[in-house]
Amino acid sequence: MSIQDLIEKTKVSFCQDCGVCTGSCPVSRVLPGFSPQQMVAKYVLSSDLGMEDEVLGEQDVWSCLTCALCLQRCPSKVEYLEFVRGVREEAFRAGNKITHAHDGILQTITQMQTSGLPQNRTAWAREAGTIKEEGEYYLFVGCVPYFDVLFKDMGVSPLGSASDMLKILNKFGIEPVVSDEERCCGHDMLWSGNVDLFKELALHNVELIKRLGCKKVIFGCPEGYLTFKEYYPLYCTDMGLDAVHFYDLVYDQIQEGTFQLSPLEQKVTYHDPCRLGRMAGMYDSPREIIASIPGIKFVEMERNREEAVCCGISCWANCSSYSKQIQMDRIKEAEATGADTLITACPKCNIHFSCALSSAEMGLEVKDLTQLMASAMGI
Amino acid sequence: MNKEVLVIGGGIAGIQACLDLADQGMTVYLVERLPSIGGKMAQLDKTFPTNDCSICIMGPKLFEVERHPNTQLLTYTEVEEVSGEAGNFTVKVRKKPRYVEEDKCTACGLCADKCPVAVPDQFNMGMSTRKAIYKYFPQGIPSVYTIDDSACRIFKGKKCNICAKICEAKAVNYEQKETVFELNVGAIIVATGFEVFDPSDIKPYGYRTIPDVITAMEFERLLNASGPTGGHLERPSSLKIKAEIRQLEKQIKKAKTRLKSLEKKSEESGDETRKALEEMNERLPVLQAKGASLEELRDIAFVQCVGSRDLRYNAHCCSYGCMHSVKEAVVATEHGSELQSTIFLTDMRAYGKGFHQYCLRGASEYGIQFVRGRVAEIGVGDDGRPAVWCEDMDTRKVEERPFDLVVLATACVPSKGIENLSSMIGFDLDENGFVKTDPNKPANTSVKGIFVCGCAEGPMDIPSSVSMASAAASMAVQTVKAL
Amino acid sequence: METELRTGVFICHCGINISGVLDIEDLCEYARTLPGVVTVQANLFTCAETGTSEIKAAVKEHDLNRVVVAACTPRTHEPIFRASCQEAGINPYFFEMVNIREHCSWVHRHDKEGAQAKARDLIRMGVAKALFLEPLETFRSKVEPKALVIGAGIAGMTSALAIANQGFEVILLEKEVEMGGLLRHLHKVAPSDMTAAELIGEKIAAIEKDKRIQCFTSAALEEVTGYVGNYAVRFSCGDESYSDKVGVIIVATGGASLKPVDLYNYDGEHVITQSELEIKLKDGNIGAKSIVMVQCVGARIPERNYCSRICCMVGIKNSLHIKEIVKDAKIFVLFRDIQAYGVENEALFFKAKEAGVRFIRYSLESPPVVEDGKVKIYHAGMGKEISLPADLVVLSTPIVAHDDAESISRILKVPIDEHKFFLEAHAKLSPLDFATSGIYLCGNAHYPATVREATYQALGAASRASIVLSHDTVERVGTVAAVKEELCSSCFACVKVCPYQVPHMNERGKAEIEPMQCQGCGICVAECPAEAIKFAYVSDEQITAACEALYAA
Repeated sequence: MSIQDLIEKTKVSFCQDCGVCTGSCPVSRVLPGFSPQQMVAKYVLSSDLGMEDEVLGEQDVWSCLTCALCLQRCPSKVEYLEFVRGVREEAFRAGNKITHAHDGILQTITQMQTSGLPQNRTAWAREAGTIKEEGEYYLFVGCVPYFDVLFKDMGVSPLGSASDMLKILNKFGIEPVVSDEERCCGHDMLWSGNVDLFKELALHNVELIKRLGCKKVIFGCPEGYLTFKEYYPLYCTDMGLDAVHFYDLVYDQIQEGTFQLSPLEQKVTYHDPCRLGRMAGMYDSPREIIASIPGIKFVEMERNREEAVCCGISCWANCSSYSKQIQMDRIKEAEATGADTLITACPKCNIHFSCALSSAEMGLEVKDLTQLMASAMGI
Repeated sequence: MNKEVLVIGGGIAGIQACLDLADQGMTVYLVERLPSIGGKMAQLDKTFPTNDCSICIMGPKLFEVERHPNTQLLTYTEVEEVSGEAGNFTVKVRKKPRYVEEDKCTACGLCADKCPVAVPDQFNMGMSTRKAIYKYFPQGIPSVYTIDDSACRIFKGKKCNICAKICEAKAVNYEQKETVFELNVGAIIVATGFEVFDPSDIKPYGYRTIPDVITAMEFERLLNASGPTGGHLERPSSLKIKAEIRQLEKQIKKAKTRLKSLEKKSEESGDETRKALEEMNERLPVLQAKGASLEELRDIAFVQCVGSRDLRYNAHCCSYGCMHSVKEAVVATEHGSELQSTIFLTDMRAYGKGFHQYCLRGASEYGIQFVRGRVAEIGVGDDGRPAVWCEDMDTRKVEERPFDLVVLATACVPSKGIENLSSMIGFDLDENGFVKTDPNKPANTSVKGIFVCGCAEGPMDIPSSVSMASAAASMAVQTVKAL
Repeated sequence: METELRTGVFICHCGINISGVLDIEDLCEYARTLPGVVTVQANLFTCAETGTSEIKAAVKEHDLNRVVVAACTPRTHEPIFRASCQEAGINPYFFEMVNIREHCSWVHRHDKEGAQAKARDLIRMGVAKALFLEPLETFRSKVEPKALVIGAGIAGMTSALAIANQGFEVILLEKEVEMGGLLRHLHKVAPSDMTAAELIGEKIAAIEKDKRIQCFTSAALEEVTGYVGNYAVRFSCGDESYSDKVGVIIVATGGASLKPVDLYNYDGEHVITQSELEIKLKDGNIGAKSIVMVQCVGARIPERNYCSRICCMVGIKNSLHIKEIVKDAKIFVLFRDIQAYGVENEALFFKAKEAGVRFIRYSLESPPVVEDGKVKIYHAGMGKEISLPADLVVLSTPIVAHDDAESISRILKVPIDEHKFFLEAHAKLSPLDFATSGIYLCGNAHYPATVREATYQALGAASRASIVLSHDTVERVGTVAAVKEELCSSCFACVKVCPYQVPHMNERGKAEIEPMQCQGCGICVAECPAEAIKFAYVSDEQITAACEALYAA
């Protein structure tokens, strides 16, 4: 889409020049000169004067965390995220690429997944619980097996969460399909401007899940969930598949009172992942799950729910001192609540906070909500 | 044809319309749902751009409404039903019982002095208390007291009767009943005004969670001589600490007395009381020190467009917010010359007569700082004060700036009853909920014989409301005379 | 027979407006020591019902015949206290007001001692003066049930029609050859999308049909004498001269759009004003695709430090109209602060944005530079100066007062402000009245206004005027100068010096002052060498007594 059309579509020219976005932006607070408002103004004017090419090579479009806090607050209801996504598409096309973190290994893994190389994505599942070849439920595991390998040293266990999730599902009587042929959901490609690759991944996954006869796709990862729910339909017509978040399933079971939880003597706080909270609108299920565990004491951070702050990095890109600062600020906010555990609901948030904590002396532990749930269920 | 006119709403617009009509020899009924006329203007401390004391310039008009031989003032009264057509409307109104006889009460105030029940004072935006028997505000007209039956002990089935006993004029009447009656009028003027937007909807601004974040209307009362602080400029957190100190001092006194009596009796051990007293004696200086540190007010931030020019809440501009804040900053500086005011704004809308000069003077003589940039969020800074996050659009810097007090310039929103009134009478509202008018016939609603003025029609400042009120009066007279 | 003078003094706390600075108890004690004072009371608000009741009660209880209130300004509050005196049964002019708020507690708030001393002085002077007060009577005069409306733009026409509809006759004067005012040159009015021609056409037709309205075009106001209810007006229409009597006058003389001579390379061709753009819009021929509008041209600058209120909306409205004619037009509006106040203006502003009109802010310090075919401006988003293509540059200039505003203000003896807009009686509560009773104002003559605003102001002015017209007589209180004929030496000093041209020589060759006309300014009293003019409201005895009291301390 041309920048001109993008401006029309996302209504960024409705901008009132008020600066609420920039004042809200976690990046602007730590990276001087970065301003969502200014970026909008710049692109609008450049496109009006036919000078898009000049600005499409600039780096600031990649600095955005796409965390949607500005979107939440914009008085003109400018569709800033769609605007950034669109600009990134154009910038990518123009050869302007995002700066990868971790030497680009995660992007390489995604890239490799489109090459048809056989993967072993089910071995852990067979160990952890019962899965099926075909059936109503598909469990979309996503990239956690890879994360597990890469970030084990940090003390996180993304695959552990996946195993716990499967075990819990089994307890609920759900035996989902898990497939070796599943590919990355494409989230990071979508937000890095690489739409062609995203489309390829999306079409593959949808075709696979349909082929396995599944109707409902269960996600534990907010990015996968959101991408499947909101962005797959942009490229895959007639999907006929329902995206279900694991926490909603758990919440339903809690309401029905189908299982017993043993008490946990912990004081916890909860970090809303951007994709799950502001973008998918899921704030209550995770909190209800925490509240259902006996003995647990729950405290909110000052900035919570719609106002929660991003974990500092998205798309495995642009990890720098400013990301660290955002993470540290957030961790301090968590610590200030007096909680001993910071619960996250996103494997990436978990990794990022764990990384930040590894270099800080704090009496705070980061824990995945699924794993917390599993311990309360005695799993 | 009926030569009488009904004006609904006793704010400045309704008052002006009523007086214009009465002065032209028409009989006017002025209906006001509150116990007194005056509306929002009566709550303001001063007015821009002349810094006139609001109630001082309004007071004479309130008086005139009451004294005028052609007006009939119906306060504490609401319109229930309207039927008929231009020239002949039948209006059913319900007058709530005050439980005080209006013609007997001399407003001596003895009843309120003795009344044992205190509740938040609505006129002072809940920042102070009033009694269950009260006068809406000191200069309120009619100058009579009213019993708030939701607070009065008598109406809760408890024993009391103090006000009735003490009233020399024998004005208190707990048996008073509401009255419903009909008026016959040729035309109706809707002057129901506006509401102040409740900023607690905007979570990042921390209103009601951060103590020293208040609304512009609350600030008006804090500045005002008949306000909760008697006009001494103080932040709410300081007021709260002072209340706590008073409470603690009372408790200490009590504990001391108790200890003394225990010593006399000597059979009981006073250890527990002594321990509690020691603890309180330790706590007192801490509170006092904290109170002293909050006493002085050094800087105030004014946050513009709170809930206005915002598609999530109200798309429209409140019309007066910029000037309102500049005025509050000027008046605040007059309370304390060392005070620094900073106004965070998007566009400075100083479009009226003398407004631009007023702003220039605000900057040069009162040292007001104007920062272009809408406030993104208000948090609590490291020093416990409210801190404002904002991008300065001129310097392009994103900064967190702590202030002693943050004042939110809240949006002007349609009054709560307007929807009901519109369906009762049948006039249209615009998409923002204000009374819809034809731009070329600005006082006409969509129903013949029904006119509108002031903020019921849309946000506007006082002179515009007054002008429009006269316009509505002219239209009402024209309608009635044409019949 | 001399009656004993018994003065009551009432001192107002005015909440804390006064008592925050002055020691009221001390003032009360002090007032009790003054000659003639029999009672002193302090009130939280003397003007509140409780306060005035206390005055009335005290008059009865202490048999008072003089009342002194030390409070705020007589400008707003004197009528209330006079009324209280009258209700208590004494002449309302046996009342004296001392201003210890504006003159003491407000101006000297940093010098409490000085303020206190001054308040004592003022109260002492007021009490001394009160002893010499004289009772004054009210005059009545007949009202001419006819209005003069000056100016037949949208405001004047609306006012004239409203007054006529209320059943009174109207003389409507227009200096141009036809009615319509500024709207004659406009394309469409916002936000109704009605053409200006339709709008004024309707009004003109109604005026021409209405037998109660006499309209004179190419007319000029020449002379106005008289007073509320009874003005004699003389005006010309072409070569003819007319005289008539009216009860009230409405000033609806409008304003003009500033011609931006020497500003932004204005040439009337490629760089034009909004008014000139309106003509192009009317013709439906813009002749340009890249248009840049510059707001605040000649406004909100040190030489003309006011905001003209309507230009932003004119720019926004016209940019939308350009878009209607030239769909792919690129329009940039360069502004300092967009004045889209209220509901419909803000909505129109959004509509313009939706239509693709771009808005770029500039600051007073770095204004845009208009060059051949382009406009250069510093763009904060880009962080640098940019160049906008411009086949056409439209300058939004403010509404300024007409050249004849000053002469009309002289003829009517009403004030104008520093920008030569007519000055209303009170900025807040009397926006449509002049301080002189019987004369009203509306529309651009007062200050720039949109069509909607000018219309309701015009209706409002009509309402204000109709208050006078709907009565058979008007009352005028006796705060006026009067000639003691036996002392008059017929020197004409008063005739020459009166700014309102009230004194004249009567058939006996002595000066005479028409009380209904006298504005009570006192200049003639001071000027009269024979001391033949008496000002009962401020007599020599009163002033002398006050002065003596001042120096007696």
